[in-house]
Amino acid sequence: MLRTSHLLLKLVLVSFVVGGLFVIYLDARITATFNDKMWDLPAKVYARPLELFAGAPLSPDDLSYELDVLGYRPVTSARNRGEVSRFRNRFEIYTRGFDFPDEREPGRRVLIEFSGDRVKSVSASGGGIDLMRLEPVRIGGIYPQHGEDRVLARLDDVPLSLRQGLMAVEDRDFNQHWGFSVVGISRAALSNVRSGQVVAGGSTITQQLVKNYYLTSERTIVRKLTELVMAVLLELHYDKDQILESYINEVYLGQEGRHSVHGFALASQHYFDKPLERLGLHEQALMIGMIKGPSLYNPQRNPKRALERRNLVLELMAAQGVISPEQATVARAMPLGLNKKRRIRDSFPAFLDLVRRQLRRDYRDEDLTTQGLSIFTSFDPLLQRKLESSTTIVMDQLDPRDELQSATVVTRFDTGEVAALSGGRKPRFAGFNRALDVRRPAGSLLKPATYLVALERPREYSLATRLSDAPLTVKLGGAKLWQPKNFDLQSHGDVLLYQALAKSYNLASARLGMELGLDSVIDMLARLGVEQGVPRVPALLLGAGEYSPMDMAAMYQSIAAGGFRMPLRSIRDIVDANGTSLKRYALEYDRTASIQSVHLLHYALRAVVREGTGRGVYRYLPENFAVAGKTGTTNDGRDSWFAGFSGDLLAVSWIGRDDNGSTKLTGGSGALKVWAHFMASASKQPLAYRMPDGIQPQWIDNRNGYLTGDGCPNSRMLPFIIGSEPTQRTNCSPRQSGPKSGSGIKTWFESLFGGGG
Amino acid sequence: MFFQLVFRIAALSFFAVVPACSTLPESGSVSVEKAPQHAVVTPDARVPDVPFRSATPSASTAWKPLLAKADQATNRGDYEQAMALLERAQRIDPDSAEVYLGMAKTHSAKGDDMQARATAERGLLYCSGKIQCDALRGYTR
Repeated sequence: MLRTSHLLLKLVLVSFVVGGLFVIYLDARITATFNDKMWDLPAKVYARPLELFAGAPLSPDDLSYELDVLGYRPVTSARNRGEVSRFRNRFEIYTRGFDFPDEREPGRRVLIEFSGDRVKSVSASGGGIDLMRLEPVRIGGIYPQHGEDRVLARLDDVPLSLRQGLMAVEDRDFNQHWGFSVVGISRAALSNVRSGQVVAGGSTITQQLVKNYYLTSERTIVRKLTELVMAVLLELHYDKDQILESYINEVYLGQEGRHSVHGFALASQHYFDKPLERLGLHEQALMIGMIKGPSLYNPQRNPKRALERRNLVLELMAAQGVISPEQATVARAMPLGLNKKRRIRDSFPAFLDLVRRQLRRDYRDEDLTTQGLSIFTSFDPLLQRKLESSTTIVMDQLDPRDELQSATVVTRFDTGEVAALSGGRKPRFAGFNRALDVRRPAGSLLKPATYLVALERPREYSLATRLSDAPLTVKLGGAKLWQPKNFDLQSHGDVLLYQALAKSYNLASARLGMELGLDSVIDMLARLGVEQGVPRVPALLLGAGEYSPMDMAAMYQSIAAGGFRMPLRSIRDIVDANGTSLKRYALEYDRTASIQSVHLLHYALRAVVREGTGRGVYRYLPENFAVAGKTGTTNDGRDSWFAGFSGDLLAVSWIGRDDNGSTKLTGGSGALKVWAHFMASASKQPLAYRMPDGIQPQWIDNRNGYLTGDGCPNSRMLPFIIGSEPTQRTNCSPRQSGPKSGSGIKTWFESLFGGGG
Repeated sequence: MFFQLVFRIAALSFFAVVPACSTLPESGSVSVEKAPQHAVVTPDARVPDVPFRSATPSASTAWKPLLAKADQATNRGDYEQAMALLERAQRIDPDSAEVYLGMAKTHSAKGDDMQARATAERGLLYCSGKIQCDALRGYTR
């Protein structure tokens, strides 16, 4: 007897200890997680904000598109935030305001007037505004594996009727109970029996929150008990308002594609395109009704069932005095009122992909998907739209059968920021991101590296150096020989260095590269930013290797910027959930090639589009709009490339097939067209001629590279690094003194590309 | 605590197993414009392409107040803020030598002479007038 009770006592003790430990464990879980990370908040990714100021190069239609993407409502008079009224070239905008990393941009009513494709004035009721920016477009998020998005609501922002309605339907005794409610359970059972259907569940709001937040949905006694204990613990630690607020932000309300919709605030945007505060009673009731079965009562898929459920909720709300019977009657008569607008979120998969990859160098996935970071990028929706439009138009012309693929990278080369990106012909579809992931030979796109090595040796080479374009054979170890050919299978005799690049002669380029040495060319590619996929073989000189459009953008970025290498950036700032700046990706210049040599290279790349393989760009661009660029074609036309820049933008375009078959295109008949079409609609500034110190223009004879004079046969003015001028001279005497006088310079500039057209 | 450890391990393995997140676009959200427009858009066709050894007249001086703010930030030692403001100014007018000068000044104040030098060298491409060019040259030595 004594032994049995002893044993019993021991058992009771042990179970107490075990139970106690379990409760302590549950308690620790609740306090550890509920406090600092109430909810996982995916990082929000923003486009660049549109800067508005008098003189800004912007067309009224571009502003209109930006406002459309931002979800501004067109009205006849803008009286509320997020509204715009437009009368021809006059916009009245009531901005929403935005907390930028550096300062707050207030929401205000502004008047924007245009004159042509420029902003003429920006003003508010108080007077002129020097500079302002619209809020940035949210282009996506970095979601956790389970794909949740979230917009947090403070309890104060939640309409009272929504809160009370929620309690009326889900947990009538919420303000009284301790986490669970015996009365609630019995009442729920009773009303279910009475109405013959399940209208209410027995779980309290606290229990539901615990279940959603910590537990699986399996139905076992242990899980139910755990839920009860945790619900009580939660009530012990937190007050009712905190629990209700958590619930309102946690509750699951359906799916949007692969993302689940959690919380009333996000659901409100998703289903009604309105903030929570502006929901009508009928809309509130619809959301409350959905809690019981988010897919069963999904108003988009099952409108009839959702409507019935909504009206039932309205009845309950009226029965419990949350709303008056009259209000209920009015609300019942309302349609579902669903948002018809498709959302822009994640419509730019290629750019988001780039952002994600850059983020993952510095952040753990978990931080990106849970900490509510704001990521400010350099993405420009206006340029992206133009890029997508050009890609579609040109590709449909080139390849109506839809067999070819295309990718383009656009940067602003002064800052090294990636502004737009297309990863395929259907830019709105996620998938293989060709802008980052194709690995193809680059053809003649690599040649400028060879020429830059030469131009960095001004004692040996200048733009006027004569190169031989005669046939060439290189021994490759063993009995193997490399015998490159020109595209036209001809040899062109002796040509000047700039002409060899402009006309993309393979023989002259290969011979020059072999003279300079493969290692120096490989070194130059690395200095320009191409370090991966470069093979140490002579064919490298004609573009062998594996490169993505992004790699080529890095290379041409360095060239366009004048020999300054800078990392291609897609992210400007990262800010945490409290608005504190975490990281700024600063602009850094690294001079990797001589400014003077790059200047000469620019001249040759201008000649490409004026008199060489890139002349086709002027079928799209105005004749006097200066640009520079290079075509690239690989064996059998497998890849068609074009890389080039104007005064403000750099773009690299590629066309090829996913199966690596022939495109039957050259750089000039393919990618060039996408590039030029895009530049014609997007670039605002032609390439200016900025001559650095240490450069002196000289007249030379275009046939032999000898010094000559103005007005002499075949005369042409070329820039030279001082001291690198040709020593031989034609016997023609100059008509006038030299290029130093004002008129001389002018003549020189006009004759820059005298032979072109 | 033991339970927490177990829980963490369980959570970690969960994350390791679940495949990486990916996003699906909504097909056809925001339609792509059709009009090619290139015939209409003649970007700055009126502006002659001649500026020789002189900066293009800047479209606007809207960035001037940013430069003043950046100066203040540099003076109180907040170089991050100063650079953020200068980069914003540069995006508004990428051809302004004055902005480059401000950047070189800030890098130099921060003690980053390499960046000061590289920035000034790039700025020299845009300077006009002896005073401005000399100021930039000062950072390249």
